[in-house]
Amino acid sequence: MKLGDYRIIFVAVGLIGTLLIATPAIVDAIHLPGGEQFSELYLLGPNRVAANYPSNITVDQNYSVYVGVGNQLGSSAYYALYVKLANQTDQMPNDTLGTPSSLPPLYEYRFSIQTGINWESPLTFSVSSASISGNSSQINTLQINGVTSNVNKPAMWNSNSSTFTYRLLIELWAFNSSSNTILYNNRFVDLQLNLTRTT
Amino acid sequence: MGGLLSSYRGFKFLTVILFVFLAFGSYLLSEHYVFAQTDQTASKLLSANNAVEQAFSAVLDAEKVGANVTGLVSQLNNADSILAQAENSNRTGDFSTASVQADSVLPIVQKITITAQEAKQTALVSGQNAFWSTIAFTVIGVFILVLVLFLGWGWLKRRYISSLSEAKPEVVSQ
Repeated sequence: MKLGDYRIIFVAVGLIGTLLIATPAIVDAIHLPGGEQFSELYLLGPNRVAANYPSNITVDQNYSVYVGVGNQLGSSAYYALYVKLANQTDQMPNDTLGTPSSLPPLYEYRFSIQTGINWESPLTFSVSSASISGNSSQINTLQINGVTSNVNKPAMWNSNSSTFTYRLLIELWAFNSSSNTILYNNRFVDLQLNLTRTT
Repeated sequence: MGGLLSSYRGFKFLTVILFVFLAFGSYLLSEHYVFAQTDQTASKLLSANNAVEQAFSAVLDAEKVGANVTGLVSQLNNADSILAQAENSNRTGDFSTASVQADSVLPIVQKITITAQEAKQTALVSGQNAFWSTIAFTVIGVFILVLVLFLGWGWLKRRYISSLSEAKPEVVSQ
């Protein structure tokens, strides 16, 4: 082997060694982009699985579901969940425009979670007072997790499903550190509730 | 006699007016009290909301510079929960409970904000120390590597030249 060949080997060893030694500094200096950042919102049934969701409801009967949020944003997040009651004609959140429903919230959750963590909480609700008259019904008061709200929400008879249909709507809002406000996260889940009888 | 009757009627009229005024006045006063209480609760809720958002921002800043914020997020979660209860109480018209709950949020989040700011400073200092340690390790490591290679190259070169000079020429017969 010639001296020139040894030189090439020494230079190669020097470059590779320098790169290896400088790896921690390079990792510190270069921040690679993380994966996709998003928040999850989900609804589980009374047994904490995605089954047996309450649908046919009557007055003074308690119903339970679990609502959950997963933080995959890469940093801690401050969330709010707004629970609303809608009928067939009420405006639902718009996925395309990213706007929430204009209905007033009846109940809210607030929580902060770190990235990679899932938060779950029970949502127990009951219709305290309702009335049915001919082709129309009205839920007067709704109790959510022990908080009673006067809703006075009417619904017309749905001939397709042969029920008075309401929807319990849960919207996900998150704190935006740029604007320093809680903004709608363009995610919602809803539970279709069919009022079958008032007594 | 007529004057006495007239003054009696006048007294009676004044009494009725006074009763009406008192009744109406107390109604107005209670209305005013309800409005004042609503305003006060709304103001307290606004303060609590701002304080929670400020505390969350402080925790997020600390997390970004590498501080361990697990405990702070857990404490913040408790404050969030109380704030939600306050908002729910306010929504159902229970203003006194809402005020008490909104007030109880403030000391918790103020403590979180201060702790988060301290954690941020500590994380910044330890982050800077770690950065300079890494730089020092890199510089010293590269220097030692270059020195070793330089000495190795010199030794190899000497050995190569001496092996060349010690080599005997070979005579090839034709």
